[in-house]
Amino acid sequence: MLKRERNLTYALIVLVSLLTVAPVLMLVMGSFSNSLHSFGNFTLKKYIAVYTDPMLFSVLGNTAIFVVGSAAFATILALFLAYLNTRTDIPFKFLFKVLSVMPMMIPHVLFGVSWALLLNPSNGILNMWLMRAFSLSSAPFNIYSLPGMVLVEGLLDMPIAYLIIAPAMGSFDASLEESSRVFKSGPVKTLMRITLPILRPAIMAAFILCIVRALASFGVPSVLGMPGRVYVLSTFIYRVITVSLIADYGKAAAIGMSILVISVGLIYVYRYFTRASDKFVTVSSRGFKPSVVQLRKGKIPLFIILLLISFILIVLPVLVLLYTSLVPYVMVPGKQAFAAMSLQNWRVVIKDPISLRSLKNSLFLCLVGATVGTFLSVLVAYVIVKIKSKASGFLESISFLSFSFPGIVIGIGFMWYFVRTPIYATIWALFFSYVATYLPYGIRPMTSAFVQIHGSLEESSLVCGASFATTMRRIVIPLLVPGIVSSWVLLATMFFRELSLSAVLSRPGTEVLAIQILRFSEDGQWGRLSALGLIMIAISIIMVAGVNILGARFKPGEVREKLVKVESQPLKATS
Amino acid sequence: MEIKIRGLKKRYYSEGKVINALDGVDLDIEANKIFTLLGPSGCGKTTLLRCIVGLETPDEGEIQIGDTIVWSKEKGIYVPTEKRQLGMVFQTYAIWPHMNVFNNVAYPLQNMKLPKAEIAARVAKTLKFVQLEGFESRPSTRLSGGQQQRVALARALVAEPKVILFDEPLSNLDAKLREETRKELKTFLGDLGITAVYVTHDRVEALALSDTIGVMNAGHIVELGSPKKIYFDADHQFVADFIGRANLIPATITEQGEAYTFVDTAVGPIRCQKRSFAPDDELVLCLRPEFIEFGKVEGDDVNHLDGTISQMSFVGEMYETEVDVAGIRIMAKLDPMTRYNEGDRVTLNVKAEQCLLVSK
Repeated sequence: MLKRERNLTYALIVLVSLLTVAPVLMLVMGSFSNSLHSFGNFTLKKYIAVYTDPMLFSVLGNTAIFVVGSAAFATILALFLAYLNTRTDIPFKFLFKVLSVMPMMIPHVLFGVSWALLLNPSNGILNMWLMRAFSLSSAPFNIYSLPGMVLVEGLLDMPIAYLIIAPAMGSFDASLEESSRVFKSGPVKTLMRITLPILRPAIMAAFILCIVRALASFGVPSVLGMPGRVYVLSTFIYRVITVSLIADYGKAAAIGMSILVISVGLIYVYRYFTRASDKFVTVSSRGFKPSVVQLRKGKIPLFIILLLISFILIVLPVLVLLYTSLVPYVMVPGKQAFAAMSLQNWRVVIKDPISLRSLKNSLFLCLVGATVGTFLSVLVAYVIVKIKSKASGFLESISFLSFSFPGIVIGIGFMWYFVRTPIYATIWALFFSYVATYLPYGIRPMTSAFVQIHGSLEESSLVCGASFATTMRRIVIPLLVPGIVSSWVLLATMFFRELSLSAVLSRPGTEVLAIQILRFSEDGQWGRLSALGLIMIAISIIMVAGVNILGARFKPGEVREKLVKVESQPLKATS
Repeated sequence: MEIKIRGLKKRYYSEGKVINALDGVDLDIEANKIFTLLGPSGCGKTTLLRCIVGLETPDEGEIQIGDTIVWSKEKGIYVPTEKRQLGMVFQTYAIWPHMNVFNNVAYPLQNMKLPKAEIAARVAKTLKFVQLEGFESRPSTRLSGGQQQRVALARALVAEPKVILFDEPLSNLDAKLREETRKELKTFLGDLGITAVYVTHDRVEALALSDTIGVMNAGHIVELGSPKKIYFDADHQFVADFIGRANLIPATITEQGEAYTFVDTAVGPIRCQKRSFAPDDELVLCLRPEFIEFGKVEGDDVNHLDGTISQMSFVGEMYETEVDVAGIRIMAKLDPMTRYNEGDRVTLNVKAEQCLLVSK
């Protein structure tokens, strides 16, 4: 290893440690401390407080039902969609691609809110309509409940499961199935005895990753769980630091430690299954296409189901928000509602100083944060891929550390950390915590970009008489552009809608969009919420589309592909 | 331009073991001829090529290209790759995916800071030479394997280097295209008349393209010579075996005659092409299937082997045939229209001049 390379590696190890290892250490130490200001006096008081809290039992029960239920729902739905896409002759296959990138566009908290607007027990639009149509005395559905949370979280996590299951299903060797057919098994028996067992590792990996996501989820539990007093671990932490009279960060850290342990354990199980899945699924190099099942009579009904899922996931949330933003209070759509429509909510929102400040803060964090995050990712990915040493392996593991931690937990760690620094309660607290926590998402596309630059591409440039600088300028950097674009877009969209870290670290003056949405939701300001939410969605879409068009000038088609892949498998690089 | 290599050594360390990729190579490559380094994978041929081009630095020795020493351990000379003014075609072609055909080919000229008009003219001329006229604006990602190969060749030729290097350039093509491209390449190189160093593990490529072949094994050049010399008159068992199909039978010299060398083998006494060896050399008789004839032919210079046809496999242009001679299976060829059958007793004829004695 050259001296220059060694220096770069060690500098990055120090920097990344400060970003990712430090908050975890602070979380551990915080959980054994009394309060933010009496740091370091070892005490077990907070753990005792957590494990004797009368609420804990119901919180754990809720959490178990919530994470397992939503993960199971997401996985089964994903399995169904993956099968339809890869193995049947269903029309309009591009819908599957749209479905799989949907969650990048619509923030989870807004998706949750749109369901609350439809199905909340007091004035949900669908509930009110059903009550009037069938003259019911009470609302038939209550979204502020565990089943409601399971349903919405499951829909949101479905794409993650889909992106793991669909490639496995699409790439396996059809002869495995065909030989089963030859030995006189029908298609259903073949599916049950051959196809699904072979896919089991991929399905389990998807299921476990959905559990991890649901455990870390804060948007849905806060918007749909807290109004009905249904608490899960993430909202339990939030309650400890906000709802109680005195914010108890020690207790929050102690709860966080428990989540961390579960989360890290699950990640190990997940890795076991992805490894098993890599071993199991035989990707045929000869370009075998799996046999396509003719749906015949089932084609139309199945296609209608697909359209319905697409409608629920993509169109419905935007439609509900648009409608709500135009009416003065929540009412059933009809003549009266259309007569009352106005831009009043929009006018209020664009003049509301806090909403404007949160928009400004989110834009700053998104643009500057994504740029800094991408720059750091380029350096880290370079060291991981091109400098192979023990130190670069260590850098890789600490860079991916934060992936397994729920945002709200790592946020508590940052709280203990930043309160000792001058950046506490400034926008920089959010800035550094965002970059640190989402670093794996920036590094992933960059490592695959570096891997793609085969050594001979650089060598042939040297043989052609180009200097090292020319080779960098004309060969290496242009080939990195697609990776840089995907890193930037991924980080920017995530920063723009960030909720769970901000829920802990945001202070008056450093509000961000998702927090402002949460405030509106807590206050029942549905109209303003919808207007602000739509502005948020529109900016996200413009940003993704704009950067993609820019990036497509270098490598058409590939950037979007990568965005899809990155969300699905950010963990593989850690193994 | 000729290339002189003296005492070249290169070691790798892998899992605590030392691998001598080049174990003291001395080599003179003639100017304006096609020289091929042939050998199995891991024999050091690619390492040698990469040392010549400067992508690897040797541990010991000296490399001289034309009048310039480009690397010398003793004299402390290292000319970096980009200053050696060579052309190279990579195994993967290394066509830059973000550039079109024109920019790929023009790259070496752009690095020489030539005027734009001259660059355009020379690129057009070179593309015409490799039969890719009008492909200038084609994105390089939309080229077939054979076209990529030709773009790589054009890029290597465009700056008119005195030496061009090939690192297994045909190994990524399918069998049929490989044959066509090999013939094309022979025409191109014949027309150019420049020094070419060609690395391959494919004996047919080496035989068909080269003026001189250097057969490598375990970091050494085992044998050097024209294709015919290597094929007909190899000195070593490794070379004889690597360059073609061969029946290899251990042999001991019984008598050095005036015209022939007489040996004793498991298939009986054989008279061979005359050759002398050091007394303690272990010898092997090499019989190529294509030189074995069926049916008894009388003559002083013919060896006769009696046996039974144990297996015949029809492979189109011939029968691959195995004949059991005194318990040893001899590979031979039979005409596809032959009337011989499995189990027939046959006599095999091999001319003495085609019985090659090689050392182990």
